[in-house]
Amino acid sequence: MLRRTLIAVGAASVLALSACGGSSDKSDSGSTPAASKLIVIITPSPDNVFFKAEQEAADAQAKKLGYETLVLSHDDDPTKQSQEIDTAISRKAAAIILDNAGADASVAAIQRAKDAKIPTFLIDREINKTGVAVAQIVSNNAQGAGLGGTEFAKLMGNKGEYAELTGKATDTNAGVRSQGYHGVLDQYPDLKMVAQQSANWDQAEALQKTQTILQAHPNIKGIIAGNDTMALGAFAAVQAAKKNIVVVGFDGSPDVVSSILKDGIKATVLQPASKIAEMAVDQADAYVKNGKADQPEKQSIDCVLVNPDNAKSVTNFAVAGS
Amino acid sequence: MTDTHVREASTAAAPEPGAPRGRALARAALLLLRGRTLVVLVILILFFGAVSSEYLTQSNLILMTKHVAINAILAIGVTFVILTGGIDLSVGSIAGLASMVAGGLLFKGLGVPGGTVFFSAAVVIVIGIAVGALVGAVNGIVITRFKVAPFIATLGMLYVARGLAQLHSNGGTYPDLAGTPARGNTGFHFIGVDSVLGIPVAVWIMILVAIAAIVVTTRTPFGRRIFAVGGNERAAILAGIRVNRIKIAVYVISGACAALAGLLLTSELGAAYPDTATTYELNAIAAAVLGGTALSGGRGTIIGTVMGAFVIGFLSDGLVLVGVSTFWQSVVKGAVIVFAVITEQAQQRLQSGLARRTA
Repeated sequence: MLRRTLIAVGAASVLALSACGGSSDKSDSGSTPAASKLIVIITPSPDNVFFKAEQEAADAQAKKLGYETLVLSHDDDPTKQSQEIDTAISRKAAAIILDNAGADASVAAIQRAKDAKIPTFLIDREINKTGVAVAQIVSNNAQGAGLGGTEFAKLMGNKGEYAELTGKATDTNAGVRSQGYHGVLDQYPDLKMVAQQSANWDQAEALQKTQTILQAHPNIKGIIAGNDTMALGAFAAVQAAKKNIVVVGFDGSPDVVSSILKDGIKATVLQPASKIAEMAVDQADAYVKNGKADQPEKQSIDCVLVNPDNAKSVTNFAVAGS
Repeated sequence: MTDTHVREASTAAAPEPGAPRGRALARAALLLLRGRTLVVLVILILFFGAVSSEYLTQSNLILMTKHVAINAILAIGVTFVILTGGIDLSVGSIAGLASMVAGGLLFKGLGVPGGTVFFSAAVVIVIGIAVGALVGAVNGIVITRFKVAPFIATLGMLYVARGLAQLHSNGGTYPDLAGTPARGNTGFHFIGVDSVLGIPVAVWIMILVAIAAIVVTTRTPFGRRIFAVGGNERAAILAGIRVNRIKIAVYVISGACAALAGLLLTSELGAAYPDTATTYELNAIAAAVLGGTALSGGRGTIIGTVMGAFVIGFLSDGLVLVGVSTFWQSVVKGAVIVFAVITEQAQQRLQSGLARRTA
C-alpha cells in the first residue's frame, strides 16, 4: 500500500518535473535574447499585503503590456535574492523589477544583471549606489514619516509618553522612517519616548514586545510603528490590555485602513505601492523598446496621510483622486 | 576559592575512596548542577527584579508566563521526540500551517459544492490540532518506514509545511478571525486573549499539557517505552517494544503540540499569516536542552523543559522590559543556551565520577 503510494507520488513528481522542463524549453526556443518578453518581478515575502499589492500590480501591468512574468520572493534574504537574479539572467529576462533585500547587499547582484545586459528597475527600497540600476522609484519615506510624525504628535496633544517600534535594522527604510518620525517628535519637549524596540516588521513580535513595553511603562499614551504589520500587532496588545492608546502605522495597508474606519488604529501613511510598481513596469517597457531610460534614475513619489477623514476612499494602496 | 576548586577537580578526576570532604563538595555541586535551570531562573528573576521595578509586578509575571506558554507547549512536544533520540525541526512550520488552516476556516470558511461551510471556533481548533497531528504522523512514517534520519525528515517537513501554509492563502494574511454570530464561529479569541480566574487561558492550557505530559512520561508503560527507545534502541527492540509505533506516536504528539501553540499565537494576534512561528523550533529545542534533555535521547524531564522555556521567556522579556537592543537580546540568549549545555556536560562528568566511587 505504502509502496504503491510512493510509486504514485514518484510518478507524479516526474510528470510535474517534465512539465516544467517542457514549458521552459518552449519559452527559451520561442524567444531570442534580444526579443525576450520576460519580466522577472522579485519582492520580499507577500506575507505583508504591501508587497503582495506591489507584486500583483507589477504582474498585471507587465501582462497588460504583453510580457510574460516570473514572480519571485526573496524573503529579505540577499543570498536568495542573488540566486533569483541569476535565474533572471539565465532565463535572459528583458527586465527585472526588484524590491531589494538590502541597500548594500543587493548592489553586486544588480551589477551582475547589468553586465548581462538586463536592466533592473528598483521599487520601494533604494540601494546605496547609483548607475547600477536603471531606475530607483521609491516612495518618499522621509516625507511620509514627517506626515506620520506630525499626525502622531497632534493625536497625542503634543505631550506624554510614547513607544516606538522600528523595523528590521538592516533595511534602509527602517532607519529613514525612524529619523523622519523623530525629526518631528523631538521638537516637542513634552513628548517623551520611553521605549524603542525593533519588532523586525513582524506582527507577532510586535504584539509580544508591545505587551512587555506596556508592563514597563503603564503610562504610555501612544505607539508609533515603522510599518502597518507592526502597528496591527501593537494594536492587538493595546486592545488586550483594554487601554486607550494612539497607534500610528506606515504603509496604508487595507487591514489598517479598515481598522482606522472602526476607530481602532488612528492613522497610517500610505505609500503608493501599486502606482510605483506600475511606473517601474512602464519604464522597463520603454527601456526595452528604446534602449534607454526615459526618466532620471532616482525618482521619489510622495506619500499620503490616511486618517478617519479619507480612509473611506483608500483601496489597495491608492487614495481615490490622488 | 581557587584552592577548593582545584582540589575538587582533582578528586573528581582521580577518585580516592577515602576523601569524604571532596565527595560532599562534589555532591553539593551536583545538586546545584541538577537544579541549574531553577538556579538560573531565580538569578534572572532577582537580577531583573533589581533592575526594573516593573519586572516582579503581578501583571508582568502573568504576561511573561503567557509568552512562555507558547514556547513551553512547543517544547513539551519536542521533548517527547528528543527522549526517543529523534529531533523535530518542523514544529515552527507546523504551528504556522495549523494557524493558516484555522485562520482560513474562520475567515472564509470551507468551500464545498453548493456553498461555503463555517465551523464553530471549537471545531476549528480541533481541526487545527488534527492537522498538526497528521503532519507529525507523516514525519513519523517517513522516519520509521523509509528509514530517513529524523533531522533530514523533519528538516524537509519544515519547508513543506511552511510552503503549504503560504499556499493556503497564496502568501496573504487572514486579517480578522473574530467570526460573526450569523456564521456561528465567534469565540476563537477565548484561548489566546481571555482569562479564567485571573490567569490567561493559554497558561491554563500550558499547565494541562504539562501535567498530561508528566503523567504520560513518568506513570505509564508508554512513557517508560519512550525512555527505553531513546536509551538503547536495540535493547528496546529485543525487549519486544514496538519501536516504530512509539516513534510515530511521539511525532504525532509533537505535531499536535505545535499546532496547539500555533493556534494560541494566532488567537492572541487575531490574525493568521503564513510566517507565524518562523524559527520557533529552535526556541523549543533550546528550552528542552536548557531543561536538561539530552539530544542523544533517553534522558530528560518534562518539568525541566518547562523550566527551560521559563528561563528563555523570562530572559527575553526582561531584556525587552529594560530596553536592551534586539542585537544584544540574541547574543545573550545564545550564550545562555551554550552555557546550559556546558553545565550539562559538567553534571554528566561529575555524576559518573561519583557513581564510580560509590561502586
